[in-house]
Amino acid sequence: MPGVTSDSGELNSLSVVPHSSDTQSPIVYPLRNHGLSPPLIRLSISWARGNTLRVSFLQSEEHNVVGKVVEVKLTNTDGGEITDAQRRRIEYGSVAPFALLQSHKNSSITSLYDKDWWERVMEYSKEISSLLGDSKSSAAPIIGDPKAVLRKMEEPTSLRAAWELLEIFYVDKHCQTWIPERLLDWLADFDCLFSGNQPTVHAKLVAFQEELVTIQAVENDPEYWQAMSSALAVGWLDVVVKLLRLHGSYLFDQLGSREIENGLVEAVALLISQMPRMRPYLLAEKLGESYQTKPEFMKAWEKWRAQITKLDCSAFWLQCDHQKTRDGLKNMLQIMLGNASILSNVTYHWIELYISHFLYIRPFTVGLESMYTLAQKCMNLKPILYRHKLMGLIIGILEENTEVVLAECSRSFGPWMTTHAIELLTAGSIQAETLLHEQQSKLGGICIEELHRLVYAQILSSHALTWNIAAIYLTSCMKQGLGLLENLLYKQPVQHHQVLLKSIEICRLNGLDFVSCNMMKIAGVHYWKHGKKGSAVFWLQQARDELRLNRIAKHLFDFVGKSISDEGFKQWEGMIELLGTESKTAGGLEFLKKYRDFRRSLQQVHEGITTEAAQKAAEALISLMRNPSTPQQFWLPLLHDSLKLLNWKERPLINVSQTNILLNKLQDLSLARLRPGFVETDLPPEALKSIRLALATNLGRAILNE
Amino acid sequence: MAVTTTTTTTTTTTTGPLQIHKVPQDTYIDALRWLPHLSTFTRHILLAAYDSDTSTPSLKSLTFSPSSSSLTLQSSLSTPSRITSLKTCPSKPLIAASTFSGSLLIYASDLVTGSLKLEFSVPEKGFHLGAVSGIDLSENGSDCVSVGEDGRVNLVSLSDMGGFRRVFDSNGLVSYSAVKWASPVEFVTGAFGFGLHWWDQRKPGGPAALFKGNWTGGTASGIVHSIDIHPSRKHVCLAGGSSGAVFAWDIRRPQQPVILSGVGIGDNPTNSLVESDIWEVQYDNYTNSSRMSNSSSSSSRILPAMICSEDGILAVIEQGEEPIELLVEPCAINSFDIDRQNPSDVLCSLEWESIAILTRQ
Repeated sequence: MPGVTSDSGELNSLSVVPHSSDTQSPIVYPLRNHGLSPPLIRLSISWARGNTLRVSFLQSEEHNVVGKVVEVKLTNTDGGEITDAQRRRIEYGSVAPFALLQSHKNSSITSLYDKDWWERVMEYSKEISSLLGDSKSSAAPIIGDPKAVLRKMEEPTSLRAAWELLEIFYVDKHCQTWIPERLLDWLADFDCLFSGNQPTVHAKLVAFQEELVTIQAVENDPEYWQAMSSALAVGWLDVVVKLLRLHGSYLFDQLGSREIENGLVEAVALLISQMPRMRPYLLAEKLGESYQTKPEFMKAWEKWRAQITKLDCSAFWLQCDHQKTRDGLKNMLQIMLGNASILSNVTYHWIELYISHFLYIRPFTVGLESMYTLAQKCMNLKPILYRHKLMGLIIGILEENTEVVLAECSRSFGPWMTTHAIELLTAGSIQAETLLHEQQSKLGGICIEELHRLVYAQILSSHALTWNIAAIYLTSCMKQGLGLLENLLYKQPVQHHQVLLKSIEICRLNGLDFVSCNMMKIAGVHYWKHGKKGSAVFWLQQARDELRLNRIAKHLFDFVGKSISDEGFKQWEGMIELLGTESKTAGGLEFLKKYRDFRRSLQQVHEGITTEAAQKAAEALISLMRNPSTPQQFWLPLLHDSLKLLNWKERPLINVSQTNILLNKLQDLSLARLRPGFVETDLPPEALKSIRLALATNLGRAILNE
Repeated sequence: MAVTTTTTTTTTTTTGPLQIHKVPQDTYIDALRWLPHLSTFTRHILLAAYDSDTSTPSLKSLTFSPSSSSLTLQSSLSTPSRITSLKTCPSKPLIAASTFSGSLLIYASDLVTGSLKLEFSVPEKGFHLGAVSGIDLSENGSDCVSVGEDGRVNLVSLSDMGGFRRVFDSNGLVSYSAVKWASPVEFVTGAFGFGLHWWDQRKPGGPAALFKGNWTGGTASGIVHSIDIHPSRKHVCLAGGSSGAVFAWDIRRPQQPVILSGVGIGDNPTNSLVESDIWEVQYDNYTNSSRMSNSSSSSSRILPAMICSEDGILAVIEQGEEPIELLVEPCAINSFDIDRQNPSDVLCSLEWESIAILTRQ
């Protein structure tokens, strides 16, 4: 873990993110087709990239060691509600909203506690939650199936459910007055998530929906009444009314004989659809009447309850012949009147009971404290048999305990959730803000927010397709971020051209010039070792690494054809082009360019016989011989190639002092020959003699000329 | 909106005269191309994909129906390693793909169904040392030229299955990064150090012309990532590469490159649309037809070109005009292709495992 020193105590005291290592049973990964039969003499296991293990087998076959290496991908242990590709899509998609929010934060520190700050966070939250799956089902078909009670929708994820919970409680300031109704909507969307391990109203309705097709007279089926009561209790009014209308008394042939019964069913359906709701608006397909202000709502509520009581005491019940209908409807009226024991009977887990209490017993509950008290009461009535991860989160939120919420996020939903949810937790809450931004000495001086970002960045950087996203999160970490980013960049394989260019781009964006310079040097050396001399020179030049350029220059010159007639020099043209016009960056290789120019002018001398061209070539020769970067092994071939210039008929092209320089070089060369490591040129033995003679003749002519 | 596989959803946005469909792919897209199409109602798309979960590279063809903007998988062939360059032939249903491991694969495609079949492959041994960095199919589909960082230039004759001829070997002194045919006998290679070489097969032994990037005051050097040559102006070579550089090189005036964009290059050091690598350049015939009509002095001007970049920009640039941004993404746009038969349609691959199909109206 970054920033943690190993000597600061036992391991458990360091784990801020709780580990649940003891709760999981070990997973067995069978290794098939490794193709080797026992006995194996050696087996070694090491980490490869990401969550893959590299397993190497070594087997001895009579002094010949054979082996095989396989990679084992460790899959997600929680069964995978979200596939790897989907997870990556969420990771990709959350980069832009996160970066935008950070830049807003940095641009205006003071506005953090402003009224409109939460609106920015709200935009961020909406964008993130849109990545987590579409909760709104696709447009309903125009001709609806009359027996389709529940809308078909994409299977929601608990990740999205958790995100919405945080949004409701921490960010959306508009909904503070009607949180119970928001929770009701939330449960309507996500009750199915709880179905996996325990009965739920949703599961009940789904089961009943399947039966519905085969049932002749629904009102005779006790399931029908149970399903409706349950749906009514959790406030899915549209479902209840739709089910009520399936009642047999609505059939044309029965309408005459069951008039009173039908009247009662319709009266209950009407009351349900007129239920007052304490919320600013209702979606089109939802039932009820919304009221924004408390007095208005109270008035409507009292009136509505009076109507229910009136219906409950009506004389028509006595005239209703169908007993199941009578009992069922009466039961529903009791639910609407808030009969606690019936509510407890028709709901399955404490959150459902909690919602029903909000709806029919305590519609005026406000404030987290009273909500928490009510939740505790509901949990007492319906003890938790299976603790779903969302329940832990809800309890943490209602307890107003940021640490618990964070721990639940981390344990159940992973580092992605924690990193991104912290932005929601700190929106407008000064207490959470100080908790998460306080530097912790036991974390090596970083804050909790930074810790989670670093953990998330580490996960990103372990995957070949997401490592470059990690840079965004690392640069948002004040203390350790840049250091870890450097490490990450150095770890990238330079032999992959694309990865190298991407790393350099990240350096450019973050002003890490020295890192990119070092990477270019590493790349240069890598390519040099692999014989890609052009790429090597390019990268070393980009890094302005004269030291290495000079060193490889010595090796390169060994390959250069030293005689003018050498055709192989054509290959070098491209390399010389690469060196460019600026000599500063070429280092010792600058010689190549001068050499090429000299050869060109010499070529012209060999072809035509103008004295000016010869004069130019002679000047190029002198400047080459004067230049300290001209390698020693070139001196003699250069002079030998220029014999024609030295013996120029018309006039001496080289003056006295220049001739002396050339003679001195010859002197140096004969001294150098005595030293070890001298490389003899492959010129004919009389070459040196003829050069000496030509130089001497030239000297004489030059002296006479002057 | 229609979906390709079980979980991918297309998002469609319309901004002004531009319609954009984004289709998540669940695989990294190394390269992509339009296949020539027989009808405007169904078109085929070629994707060089890399599945990082299973570490398997593949070449896929998908059917795109513009009316419902849906993508359906037609065929998927596994390839020996990841694809570095993908080219289609304008006149024949032929596809060439070069691989990271250094081989060349030639496929035939059925233009009606969009199915693919491997015709032959040039094996790695002796062909290139390491990855093949660029390939191009000649216009009549008879030859494929390939270049690599190893400094080799090879010519594969498609009639002679599996054989190749070495045009040049610089023994690693020059690292080539891109190649493009100019005529049946000429091609241009791009290299490190913004080097462009003009090759003429009638003049063997080395490049026929070298481009000298003598830009004044330029400190940056870079790599040419992509080259394009317009079929009607074979003497002008358009190149794009590092630091947002896009320049045109006229073989008749080899000393004077025309710089269209770039940071620290030439005389326009600051106002560049793109500051990072330009991954691909292509002449944009669509913009050509709409804008050039009212400018008379068009013969010496560089035709409009489309670019895509590491910093997530897909744009059309033109000499002396403001660039038109078609797409701005938070991630890199790695490659794109303009439909040759229907140049209003553009296909591009995004770094974050998705592709985008743009329709200009």
